[in-house]
Amino acid sequence: MAAPDVNAILSAFRAELDAVSDPKALDELRRKHTGKKSPLKLAFKDLREVPADQRSEVAAALNSARDQIETDVAAAVERVEQQAITDALDREWTDMTMPGVGTERGARHPLTVVERECLELLRRLGFSLVDGPEVETAFYNFDALNIPEHHPARDMQDTFWVKGGSLLRSHTTTVQARVLESRPSLPIRVASAGRVYRNEAVDATHLAMFHQLEGIWVDKGLTFAHLKGLLGFIARSLYGEERPIRFKPKFYPYTEPSIGVDLQCGSCAGAGCESCHGAGWVTILGAGMVHPKVFTQFGYDPDKVSGIAFGLGTTRMAGQWTGVKKIRSLYETDLRVHRALTGGAA
Amino acid sequence: MKIGKNILKRFTDLPEATQDLRYLLDDVGVEVKRTETSDVGDVFTVELLANRGDHYCYAGIARELNGRTNAGVRLPQSTLLSLGTSPVPLSIQSDKCSLYSITELVRTADGDLDAQAKAVLTAAGLNSVTPPVDATNVANAELGQPTHAFDADTIVGSITVRESIAGETAWLLFTEEPTELPEGTLIIADDAKVLAVAGVIGCEESKSTASTTRIYLESAAFDPIAVRKGARSLSVHTDSSARFERGSDASLVLTGAGRVAQLMASAGWDVRGTTGQVGDWSDERRTIALDIPHAAAFLEYPLTPDTVRDRLGRYAFAVSPNYPEWAAEDGWIAPQSTQERSSDRNRNTLLVRVPPHRVWDVEFAADLYEDLAKSIGYNEMPEHLPPIDLGGVPTERQQNMERVEEVLLAGGFFEVFTDGFHGRELAEKAGVEEGHPLAAHVETENAMDRGYSLLKNNGLYQAVEAIGVNLRMRTDQVKAYEWTRTFHPTTDGGCDERHILWAICSGNASTPSWDGKGRPADAFFMKGLVANMAETLRLPLTIEHASEDEPLASLLHPHRQASIRLNGRVVGCLGEVHPTVLRGHKIKRARPVYMELCTDALAVSGARPTYVEPSANHPILRSLAFLLPTGVYADELAEHLRTTSPTWLDSVDIVDEFVLDRGRAVTFALSYSSDEGARSADEVNAVTEGLIGTVAAKYGDRGVELRA
Repeated sequence: MAAPDVNAILSAFRAELDAVSDPKALDELRRKHTGKKSPLKLAFKDLREVPADQRSEVAAALNSARDQIETDVAAAVERVEQQAITDALDREWTDMTMPGVGTERGARHPLTVVERECLELLRRLGFSLVDGPEVETAFYNFDALNIPEHHPARDMQDTFWVKGGSLLRSHTTTVQARVLESRPSLPIRVASAGRVYRNEAVDATHLAMFHQLEGIWVDKGLTFAHLKGLLGFIARSLYGEERPIRFKPKFYPYTEPSIGVDLQCGSCAGAGCESCHGAGWVTILGAGMVHPKVFTQFGYDPDKVSGIAFGLGTTRMAGQWTGVKKIRSLYETDLRVHRALTGGAA
Repeated sequence: MKIGKNILKRFTDLPEATQDLRYLLDDVGVEVKRTETSDVGDVFTVELLANRGDHYCYAGIARELNGRTNAGVRLPQSTLLSLGTSPVPLSIQSDKCSLYSITELVRTADGDLDAQAKAVLTAAGLNSVTPPVDATNVANAELGQPTHAFDADTIVGSITVRESIAGETAWLLFTEEPTELPEGTLIIADDAKVLAVAGVIGCEESKSTASTTRIYLESAAFDPIAVRKGARSLSVHTDSSARFERGSDASLVLTGAGRVAQLMASAGWDVRGTTGQVGDWSDERRTIALDIPHAAAFLEYPLTPDTVRDRLGRYAFAVSPNYPEWAAEDGWIAPQSTQERSSDRNRNTLLVRVPPHRVWDVEFAADLYEDLAKSIGYNEMPEHLPPIDLGGVPTERQQNMERVEEVLLAGGFFEVFTDGFHGRELAEKAGVEEGHPLAAHVETENAMDRGYSLLKNNGLYQAVEAIGVNLRMRTDQVKAYEWTRTFHPTTDGGCDERHILWAICSGNASTPSWDGKGRPADAFFMKGLVANMAETLRLPLTIEHASEDEPLASLLHPHRQASIRLNGRVVGCLGEVHPTVLRGHKIKRARPVYMELCTDALAVSGARPTYVEPSANHPILRSLAFLLPTGVYADELAEHLRTTSPTWLDSVDIVDEFVLDRGRAVTFALSYSSDEGARSADEVNAVTEGLIGTVAAKYGDRGVELRA
């Protein structure tokens, strides 16, 4: 018997292979050319008929042909499947410029963000947070803080009086008075944040209600340098080392010496603008060494202890934080304002 | 107060550049709020410290600057007045006036103040009136001694400083008719009428005019509180009252009058005779002991007796020589505390005498530390943190607040702040009337704005108002929350403050998008939010049927509200806002849902979860759908299924609701455990059938039936 025509087998396979374009047909083609009834299998069966001196050579040719068919089919499968994926992807063309879908994340108020930042800084220094009432007595709001009746300092804080003789606290310093009165052991390091009220005409930059954060540190040996160090630490931590700050004399009845911290206006970089009233600086906090009279009021010996007291105008700080020029905006409930203030991020 | 740069330059040397001067003024505590240019050069609007009455004049500001610059202070020339017989009988009948003087001036020629004096008026923004009035204004601006010119020909008899009696009236300047004075107001009067409210304002009947030819010039020292009371009771605030209220300098009484006389001389007015003066003021020579090492330690700045003398001397403090010289000199009387000290300590102590213009604000050594620091410059002082030990950690409440916020933020809520008070109209819009549990408020009594008359006793009013604000701005998707507190009157007239969290939403639960509208942010959305909070906090917050005692109940939809409970105690509520409330706010196209939670609940620590190994076997699931008529609650049935089933029923969940004509079909998913070994389908089916039977037995009469 003559040796089978391996080339013819391969030629017939390849002629059909080129016409096949889907995986199922490829599988059928593979079975047709390598299955039990395929010319190749038949040729293997007929191998014993081939003269002995040619048999090994023919067998090798048949094995090679089978391998080529398998290889070609596998390659074709890969090609066809890849094409199928490509075609499917093309059919799934999507306009990815359409907006994303999901629930918009809300945002904390910038005031809260600033307040928490401050509290976190203070916590690192060992401060703990305390709370106090907003409806207060004149004693804690004024008298205990060295602001006697008829003192002009009371004009600094136009007061909302509440029927019954109480008042709405005009500063969070009331909490300091309450803490000192409770006579905790030294060192005292407490902070308090919250709403305060001023009975004045409201405009873009004046509010009847705004926020403050107050702190007091009482211990032996605290100095004016410590006061400055603490205030500088807070201001620079919040606004960055590169943002200029300055210290200036102020007057608060409950501290002596009193000090204010100005931050270079972020809106104008010190040139003067609407948000800083042309000053180039914005006062963000007031502070001082606890006044001897306040210590005496609560039974401390001012010769033996000293104290640092400070109040952060968190509303104004949030204004500088966000760049908002009219702080009234911070108290709007119009969510367009909040989205603009926070960028939707908390 | 407005001050002119070119005028201030007459009193002390200044930096040339306006910006440098502004910085210097700020740096010494004279805060510049505004700079403008006028006919007399640059003018600063300055904000003065409330305790520094002496700053209310050019001389005072110059002295403050001198404390830093040591450039010297130049005071304007004053006519030297001689004390003697008074041109008019004088008396003081009140302890609220320590010194009172009258100087007579007569017009000898027509004239006006010179240009330099006029410039002072221009810088201050004052109009020129008559030479006597102008001169008093100029002298006050220059030296800080208020004076007043009476038309001498209107004075009847003597001049007395006294307190007003009940029903007494005064015809105040610039008013149409006499005003009744509060009894006890410090006044100046002649034998017939009130001439002035002391330190505050003069009166029409004795004012000097263009035709006045003879004046009595008043210069005095009045008690700050008396002046303040007078000004406040009449709601009249003048440059004079501002100065006196902060404590005047009695040593300036004659000098101030002399400065007025000097100014008026150029306008053709001459002093006649001697100045009459009554009163018992004398310099108290207040002395403070200054412990130099203590001051240096307090300021962390090197100080010596010489540097202290130099710096405090610039502010006009007199500083003693070193110990023991001051103990030996007659002029120095040490305060009690120093007298008791050992000589070792006194060796390091100086005595500092407070000048009369500073007795109102300098009382302690700490006050002197402030002046030393100002002289050096706050920005030049050392700065470092105190020694610090370990910081604290946030409290459970603070941590829980942040956890709750994370739930709200993920849900798309924005934090807002509303006022602590509101007007009556908000309560009216909500339909809250007398007798309603929310009708009682803590009230302000002097609010400048009616919108601040009631302290809020709930968050809903302002939350709904916020919805209205946003809808008007065409923002339909509103999710807002606030941590705030409410105020509730107590029976003893006090106030109970409660910390709350409120949240309100309107629009869609998730952000609307182009691929579909999504579900509305309804009461179930809010319920889910609270459930998420409970899970995040690991607190047993449950949402149950509305409490009858809930004050907000009538402001919420009667069938779409629920109570939030913690361990059975009501800690809040949620529900759809009642249409009547929405109508009050003219809200027509929204159905907002509100939630209010008492944040005391957040002070509790949540339970840590106990790990339970998940079963290796898959659960066996069955579903039951029951038809529930109106009035039968799904959770009632779910609870029944749980309690009547064998222990191997792991869970009962409500998974579907389908509204039919004759009620709702609610589907319950039952998940049975197969941990005990392979349970047969027959066994599970038998149990399920049994449950159906118990439902029929218990709820059949109420119309509950299995949906086929």
